[in-house]
Amino acid sequence: MNTFSLKITACDRVFYEGECEILIFPVEDGEMAIMAHHEQMTTTVEIGELRFRTPDGAEHVAIVSDGMLQVAHNQVKVIVYSAETPEEIDAFRARAAEERAREQLRQKQSIMEYHISRASLARAMARLRGKDKHMPE
Amino acid sequence: MANTRELQNRIKSIRDTMKITKAMYMMSSMKLRKAKQKLENTEAYFYGLQEQIKEILLHFPDMQHVFFDNRMEDMQEEVKKKAFVVITGDKGMAGAYNHNVTKEAQVAIDALRENGNYRLFVVGEVGRRYFSGLGYHIEPDFLFSTNNPSLHRARVITELLVELYKQEEIDEVYVIYTRMINSMQSVVETEKLLPLKTHDFVAKELLEAARKKLGNVDTETVAEETYEIYPSPAAVLEKLAYNYVTGFLYGALVEGNASEENARMIAMQSATDNAVEMLRLLSIEYNRVRQAAITQEITEVIGGAKALKKKKKKQAR
Repeated sequence: MNTFSLKITACDRVFYEGECEILIFPVEDGEMAIMAHHEQMTTTVEIGELRFRTPDGAEHVAIVSDGMLQVAHNQVKVIVYSAETPEEIDAFRARAAEERAREQLRQKQSIMEYHISRASLARAMARLRGKDKHMPE
Repeated sequence: MANTRELQNRIKSIRDTMKITKAMYMMSSMKLRKAKQKLENTEAYFYGLQEQIKEILLHFPDMQHVFFDNRMEDMQEEVKKKAFVVITGDKGMAGAYNHNVTKEAQVAIDALRENGNYRLFVVGEVGRRYFSGLGYHIEPDFLFSTNNPSLHRARVITELLVELYKQEEIDEVYVIYTRMINSMQSVVETEKLLPLKTHDFVAKELLEAARKKLGNVDTETVAEETYEIYPSPAAVLEKLAYNYVTGFLYGALVEGNASEENARMIAMQSATDNAVEMLRLLSIEYNRVRQAAITQEITEVIGGAKALKKKKKKQAR
């Protein structure tokens, strides 16, 4: 199977750099998949689950928060705030964050605070979903 | 000359102070290392973002966007409402670190002060106290600490600034922070954060070339044929600009934090050095005083003994 080079950069590290067969990532209206020799493109990545398959057949999963994706010359660059494997997610922390965000959403607040709380809630929920799905307790 | 008891007290108090400065030195050096590590970790992310912005700007050289400085409505306005984000420390004892930043900010603000077209966002307790003490109007709800900067904090600050910017409450956003050049030197920088300058990302000549290349044909169609942007260029650019602002603010916070710890480290180092020097001088003086006291006592004893001898001789005669 044809491959392309993939680089996933999070704000605190380079999450993955190497060859990849297929990459599936969350977008505004669902999911999008990229395979080798995709046309040039730039798009946004939403909060959610990103999956990719490396040439050795291994499936990788990352829970990402919002960012950008760029395809050019068979190279894909993904730049996101955070990228974690399900193993790395601290379910306890994520649950606490979820509750905090829900609590904040309940309170009367300005539009700006609402945006922040909603984004926090989406992130916490994505983390918990990813953790539950791939590493059920 | 002071007596030995006084000198001993002084030596003891200097020793105690030295213990504190030494401990603070150790803490600062640890925090500095952490901050430097953080800075290094974000580099890949930050440069990646810059590259992507550049790419889009090259494909769409004539795009008008709120976040970029070539927006239409902005050119007609004469008075700009400027916002300043000043990054200071939470604590003193860091040499001239806080002073340098506040001074720079003050100069920038004083130029605008009479028409009142400024908004002041101060990060860090020291700066807040300084400016409110001088009677500047600072944003009351903008309470952020510089200690242990996190991306979350940068994001919250960005959300706040961008919201105001979009509502046209503010027209320009400047960040005043301290950048570390190396472990000995740091410099105060004033950066215009919003609107973003196109030529910060792309050199003018490149942009001109791109414009010419696209100029002959209808810009939109050519660009979209060769380059797909999903869902729309404006949406993507907005997100990018947003992330860039967050990234920049985070970088500034971390740089500021690193400079602060560095300044504190140097200040504490020189305080410890001074204490050592003072201890050296004091111990010399202490020894001198002690010796003088002993000599005096011996002289007194000898004198007393001699007097007694003389008395005995007199009596014997």
